[in-house]
Amino acid sequence: MKKFIIYISLIISFVVIYLLQSTFFTNFTIAGVMPNIIVILVLYIGLYAGVSKGIIFGIMFGIFIDIWIGKNIGITSICLATVGILGGMFDKNFSKDSRITILLMVISCTIIYEVAMCILQYIILNTNIEILEFIKILFIEVVYNILITIILYPLMKITGYEVENEIKGDKILTRYF
Amino acid sequence: MERDRKSGIIGVIVTIIILIILVVVTNTNSENASFIDGIANTIVVPIENGLTYLKNKISNNNNFFENIEQLKAENEQLKQENSELEQNLREYEVIKNENDQLKQQLNLSEKYAQYTTVPGTIISRDISNYSKTLVINIGSDNGIKENMTVIADEGLVGYVVSVTSNTAKIQTIVDSASATSCLTSSTRDNMICKGTVENSSTLRASNIATEANIIQGDSIETSGLGGIYIKGIHVGKIKKVEKGTNKTDSYAIIETAVDFDKLETVLVVTN
Repeated sequence: MKKFIIYISLIISFVVIYLLQSTFFTNFTIAGVMPNIIVILVLYIGLYAGVSKGIIFGIMFGIFIDIWIGKNIGITSICLATVGILGGMFDKNFSKDSRITILLMVISCTIIYEVAMCILQYIILNTNIEILEFIKILFIEVVYNILITIILYPLMKITGYEVENEIKGDKILTRYF
Repeated sequence: MERDRKSGIIGVIVTIIILIILVVVTNTNSENASFIDGIANTIVVPIENGLTYLKNKISNNNNFFENIEQLKAENEQLKQENSELEQNLREYEVIKNENDQLKQQLNLSEKYAQYTTVPGTIISRDISNYSKTLVINIGSDNGIKENMTVIADEGLVGYVVSVTSNTAKIQTIVDSASATSCLTSSTRDNMICKGTVENSSTLRASNIATEANIIQGDSIETSGLGGIYIKGIHVGKIKKVEKGTNKTDSYAIIETAVDFDKLETVLVVTN
């Protein structure tokens, strides 16, 4: 039952983040660049709920975004699923108690997600990409994501352990003991 | 533990403040100087006013009572004049608004007389920094089909990529996956305008003929090649012409007529 509530609340938080991203953040920008909070959400799911949930939610969210606003179904879902897998890998190898490691995870996930998106779109849709401009936008986006992660970190930590206890249960690795 | 939590909260608050400052500073480009001016003025002006008042009080004290009758009469006269002028101004403003409105209507109907259009409102924008698609609130129920041209009052917006019963997805011309076949209005030189990632109001025109004579400020319109866009719709103006190292790799930067950041309503051409 509790698991069901967690899944529903994850989906609701995705909808809220999506609406924020498409309305509020289109105006609340740093030098015209928006953050990418959906990457942070999928990373959070991968970290605290496991690789499989990360992949499933990543693909679900990605397909929704592709149908609603994207040009081609599949690109966003593949990239978000990659972020979910990365979340699971980070969970196995790093501690989640430190703010710095979470920040580094967000930085690497944002960069990997955007570069993968860019390459896939270039291959499939033949988009017009100027590398210098791309790097500039990516840098500002990473900075924006860092600031948002610092603000959301207390919330992520509190809810994260609840989610982890409920979903992973006995499977939590006992490496710290 | 208590100390940790406190410092965490302070960190969050400081980050929020930094974020807001960054957003405000980066979005108000040239008004920073006047903002500082404003602060300085609010501090200095009251003091200056006080000093001037004191000075006037001291120097003009003797002839203040002499002219009081004359001043009263003058005051009455000026008041009357003022009310008349105000009335005139109000009438003038009404006429001016009416004039503007009529001019705009005339212009619009002349410009788009040959097309039947359906108006739509933008309900969603792209969430990514690298693509610029839009969703509008009209769909196949209103007669919208794929590949229809979408325009705004100022010029070309894009074309319809996909439709549902009551929404339609538009790929704008500034999207990095978009390429529009255009020509210059005066010299009829062909070129291909592609969207850029850097800016939501510039296009990069390439494939320009080597003997083409392109000047800054030239007006650009669609050529009708490719079958999606209707011929002769205004796209924008040439902002800069970049000559490459040789003749074939020169390109031009085009500023779009439509401001895509402030776009709210669009017209879909249905015929």
